[in-house]
Amino acid sequence: MLLTVNDLHKSFNGREILKGIDFQIDKGEIVVMIGPSGSGKTTFLRNLNFLEHADQGQMDFAGHQIDLAKPDKKEGQWVRRHSAMVFQNYSLFKNKTALQNITEGLIYAQGMAKDKAEAIAKHELASLGLSQEAQLYPAQLSGGQQQRIGIARATVLNPEIILFDEPTSALDPELVGSVLGDMRKLAEAGQTMIIVTHQLGFARQAADRIVFFDEGKVIEEGAPQAMFDHPQNKRTAQFLTALNDAN
Amino acid sequence: MNNAKILGVILRGLPNTLYLLVLSFVFATILGIFLAWLDLRQNRVARGVAHVYLGLIRGTPPLLMLLLAYYGLPVLLKGIGINIDGWTKLTFGVFGLSLGWSAYLSEAFRSAYLSVDPGQLEAARSIGLPDRTTFWQILIPQATMIALPNIENLVIGLFKATSLVYVLGLYDLYNEASNLSNQTAGIHQLRIFILLALTYWVIVLIIEGLFRLIRNRFAAIRA
Repeated sequence: MLLTVNDLHKSFNGREILKGIDFQIDKGEIVVMIGPSGSGKTTFLRNLNFLEHADQGQMDFAGHQIDLAKPDKKEGQWVRRHSAMVFQNYSLFKNKTALQNITEGLIYAQGMAKDKAEAIAKHELASLGLSQEAQLYPAQLSGGQQQRIGIARATVLNPEIILFDEPTSALDPELVGSVLGDMRKLAEAGQTMIIVTHQLGFARQAADRIVFFDEGKVIEEGAPQAMFDHPQNKRTAQFLTALNDAN
Repeated sequence: MNNAKILGVILRGLPNTLYLLVLSFVFATILGIFLAWLDLRQNRVARGVAHVYLGLIRGTPPLLMLLLAYYGLPVLLKGIGINIDGWTKLTFGVFGLSLGWSAYLSEAFRSAYLSVDPGQLEAARSIGLPDRTTFWQILIPQATMIALPNIENLVIGLFKATSLVYVLGLYDLYNEASNLSNQTAGIHQLRIFILLALTYWVIVLIIEGLFRLIRNRFAAIRA
């Protein structure tokens, strides 16, 4: 297993958001997390990247054992350097150009020389068809372009795992396709990913496994076909029906 | 007495006015950054010190700040064995104005820093950037952009407040004009003060122009 998490608990102001999550993911596996809003999916992702501080739990990430309640600062930094996150609202660095957004991590997290980092970033932008936008700032880019650069910022670091937090939820419908296209390419290239999304069509095609969250717990998990067509749990079925009705 | 001659006399005060403006702004900025840093710390003592200072300065007229610096500081420092009798009036002017404006600038810096989208720090952490790098590369530039309109207002306010140094007997734009009016028994008073007002206004226009240049240069960055 690339990543194993045991008994992860997290409370905010006395309210328990994660009530003991056990989770594991293999190298190259693509896991899609679904569930109602407030069920803890995003909080779970944020805990994996140490953007939240867990109250309790164990992590084993590529052989590094970490006590999530009292993570060693160095271990936390190690996890962050070997993982990356893509955010719902893109969170590109607003005072950096598209190119600089991609080189920032290569130069300052991985210590790569500037010209080498720029060559990699330019190549990445070219492969996305975004070379024209290299010198533009986030405010000058569309939401779809921003998110594609957000994904590029994560992928150039060659992370062991990429965490996607509702990457297409803030996008206009016509821009969703290009972002999902980039994610599909990553999937084909064997990138390990955890994706929180409501895009069930994408999940069915790209995911190896679906995990259903509700009220801070993993209620059900399984292969997409089985989960979507024959959900075992009543709440999973209700959620999927509601989501299908909405589409 | 024609207008050109009046302007000539008024502008004799320009070097002092600009000296006061530039040096006070530089020192007030340094002090303001330090105060904002104190105030943003988790340490209660540090924050307490910052709060008392800010409250005291904000609650006192700038004119009084200058008078206290000029008459009070030498006495105070003599008490602990430091002699500042050699300081020029200009130095006291800079001192008083720097103290006064440090508090306002500190609030502008602090509020701007807190207004930076917290998602920026999270994004930086998620790709493994060290916090120190994030602070200098991402947070400080964005906070500066956010603080810019406030800083512009404060610079203009400081520029106008330099006229208060007449209480120390310093000859700036205002004191030159006032002095000229007195020397001519008030006959040209209205004309002198209208010309003085226009002089201040033109310089404010220049300051606004400089800030517009900075804004346009960074127009693509909307922090």
